[in-house]
Amino acid sequence: MKIKLDLHNHSCLSPCGSDDMLPSLIAFEAMEKGIDILALTDHNCSRNLEPFAQACEICQILPIFGMEINTIEDIHVLTLFKHLKDAQEFGFYIETLLPNINNDPKFFGNQNIVDIEGNILSTFKKSLITTCGISLDDVINECLSRDGLVIPAHIDKKANSILSNLGFLPDLEYSALEAIRPQDIKESFNKTILQGSDAHYLEHVGRRYCFLEVDEISYEGLKKGLIDGKVSYIIE
Amino acid sequence: MKVSDLVKIEGFKTVTLNDDTQIIKNAYTGDLLSDVIANVGEDSVLITVQAHKNTIAVCSLSSMPAIIICNGRSCPDDMIKAAAENDISIFTTDDTQFGASVKIAKALNL
Repeated sequence: MKIKLDLHNHSCLSPCGSDDMLPSLIAFEAMEKGIDILALTDHNCSRNLEPFAQACEICQILPIFGMEINTIEDIHVLTLFKHLKDAQEFGFYIETLLPNINNDPKFFGNQNIVDIEGNILSTFKKSLITTCGISLDDVINECLSRDGLVIPAHIDKKANSILSNLGFLPDLEYSALEAIRPQDIKESFNKTILQGSDAHYLEHVGRRYCFLEVDEISYEGLKKGLIDGKVSYIIE
Repeated sequence: MKVSDLVKIEGFKTVTLNDDTQIIKNAYTGDLLSDVIANVGEDSVLITVQAHKNTIAVCSLSSMPAIIICNGRSCPDDMIKAAAENDISIFTTDDTQFGASVKIAKALNL
């Protein structure tokens, strides 16, 4: 079956993520847009994944529990997990690698940790916009060893992308790649290239997505679908 | 200058010296490695804070014989190993990229 997929969204925890980006509202917005599999991928932090899990259950969307890690190479990589607990544990590990720089809400927003109703439980004090002390290779190894998926984000972006920051794609075990305009990527790199919304505002949830042929709507189905690579896009 | 002459510059320390037969005639300062690949000239030393294995791949692609890692950053073992395999030398300094660039420009009479 062909499913609608969006594996890149930021909540109000992410720097520059709007305060309206409550995990519950992201799930409802995605439901309205017909997304079947949805990931929450805050920068370097997993602390809003629990309300996201609860909201996706209500909306009957398959949740994928993720983060967007900023490596020492300043490359953004999506790490995605089936189980909330695995994603949270990986998130706590990443938090230990963050530099001791406090967030300045004037520039980067409040970094709110919320519950399913949108109540602010606390704010994350350290800046999440910086690189954390982990290399691209180590992110991939750590993530795959925990049965995660690892997807270099927006490879066609001029900043924080693997191609702009390194100039080439190292031969590593990516689960897939993500691009803003996959139709313009000249090389296939022998990987499935996805499109994700990279939403920081509510109206951006599901603004970019792709269709993927899967056997079933499950994490295992997604994993196999990425290997099979039958992906399609709406070209604007 | 020879690659090994870099360690004569004040505050520069050798991490790994490989293939000292290569001559350095120029330098390129940058942390955006795609920009380095696109613009670096031949026989250049790379001045950067990018202390990881992929910097070695960039140097190898662009025929750069040496790297100066700035701001006192340390080099991981896999980077040092990759450098040895690719005949690329690594030096570190507590200088900023600007400070290191000025010193190398003087040493090269640029």
